[in-house]
Amino acid sequence: MRPENYQAVSHPPSHEYELNIGPNHPGIEGNYALRLTLEGDIVVAARADAGYLHRGFEKLMEGRLWMQNIALVPRICVPDPAHMEICYALGVEMLGGLEVPARAQWIRVMQLELSRITAHLFYFGGVAATMGMYSNMFWGVADRDLVLDLFEEFTGGRVYSMFNVPGGVRRDLPDGFLGKLKALLDYLESRLEDYDNLFFSNYVVVHRSRGTGPMNRQQALEWGVTGPNLRATGLAFDVRRDDPYLVYDQIEFDIPTEEAGDALARILVRRRELQESIRILRQVAEQLPYIKGPVRCPLPNPLAWNVPAGDSYARVESSKGELAYYTVSNGGDKPWRVHIRGPSQMHAVQVLENLSVGSRIEDIAQIMFTLDACPPEVDR
Amino acid sequence: MEESKELTGWLERVLEEFHGVKVQRKAARRMRIDIDADALPALLELLQGRAGYVHLSAISCVDWIDDGQFELVYHVLSYETGTLVSAHIRIARDPGVYLSVYDLYPPAAFFERDIHEMFGVYFEGSPDMEKFILTEWDGPPPMRKEFDTRAYVHATFDWQQYDPEWLREIRARGGGIVE
Repeated sequence: MRPENYQAVSHPPSHEYELNIGPNHPGIEGNYALRLTLEGDIVVAARADAGYLHRGFEKLMEGRLWMQNIALVPRICVPDPAHMEICYALGVEMLGGLEVPARAQWIRVMQLELSRITAHLFYFGGVAATMGMYSNMFWGVADRDLVLDLFEEFTGGRVYSMFNVPGGVRRDLPDGFLGKLKALLDYLESRLEDYDNLFFSNYVVVHRSRGTGPMNRQQALEWGVTGPNLRATGLAFDVRRDDPYLVYDQIEFDIPTEEAGDALARILVRRRELQESIRILRQVAEQLPYIKGPVRCPLPNPLAWNVPAGDSYARVESSKGELAYYTVSNGGDKPWRVHIRGPSQMHAVQVLENLSVGSRIEDIAQIMFTLDACPPEVDR
Repeated sequence: MEESKELTGWLERVLEEFHGVKVQRKAARRMRIDIDADALPALLELLQGRAGYVHLSAISCVDWIDDGQFELVYHVLSYETGTLVSAHIRIARDPGVYLSVYDLYPPAAFFERDIHEMFGVYFEGSPDMEKFILTEWDGPPPMRKEFDTRAYVHATFDWQQYDPEWLREIRARGGGIVE
């Protein structure tokens, strides 16, 4: 039955084959690709392939004024833009020796925690989708939209707010805003039980994610893992508490940890972080009415602002881990160099490559999503 | 954070024994060390092995084109004290070669690969110096100061006049929002 021109294909003496996942694949977060070598359905090697989202932010920032860059930085990371702009502003304030008024610092904390909630709601939706559950995404996006409504009210922008300037925030909160914030917090808290029933205590989720992509604390430290992924291995380190910025040292909150270090632990850490963010926001809503004063310090003409020469390393705890800006000024009106260190530069490259090896192909998406790997931070 | 002061104080005393080291306390949990490029691996070994600076936060590269030098900054962090040490070295811009610290800090692989791609600095001993982000780019390393993005765009791409008919119609009506 063979055709006349049939020739047997000579296979290499191995059962390995290569498979590309991405850059357009529902199991991959953002525009990112993985080159897998498989034997059966077990991954024997994985190589990350970035660059599909490179926009050259660091180079662009060198050609723009210090103030203009505020409009640029939030665009680096879509799910969690507030941390990007505030971290940049902190770096410039360190260089310029600016004293941020207390009220502005509290407003910034509010913005950061609201942003963390939006990022985590997105995260739960993405993780659930890798297990074939889509309701969580619909719920998460719907609840995230309510937070975005608040963003729109006090910053003017839903996603990219560009609300911070070096030295403070653009304007004070509108009247009656804190009441709306409290109402939203009550609503989010009442939703947690629904999320628990739907997702976090769901039999399928727990059994599907337990033991997937595990790492122990030793490995996590060696690979440079930070943030919730590190806390999922049992190390209670949080930049907000251990290297505090803004007014986090005046706020009470716990640092949730899990011991297992697998996908389930990473999910549960973030579930409890969501609750801690709500707790922080309640304290902010309590405190803000008593903190009066300006929301920004006087600045020189932003079009001719020469920031004193020097360098600064500003670190914050973003929703994904340690985010840092290394900013260098040579005394000019534009940055000489800005280096962005995103947590996903570790999580999406080395950590993902290492965790993929030995796992099954259907776990790859779950590992990537539970690590909260964000490709735009890698490419910049 | 009482511990942290003691530990960094001890560290300062140890560092005084190094040659050509300038230590500067920039803030409560920030320390800047300027050191000769030859002595950096020994310093990092000391910081990691004896003082608990196990986390490499980042390696930053700064192009000081007027001095003909690259500045490499190694930011390392101690989880015990929350203190961040930035070790600054300068290397010659040409040929721009330095040693990898991958054996001490595995996360260095990403940063070194990135710096090689963006600045053209080669790190000897780094596990992977292949292209990563700019896979199809064969021009000069773009983050170098002599690379002018705007000049490159003007030389490479043609400007197109964008003037479709619907836009001309709107303009003829006096512009504004289309009802």
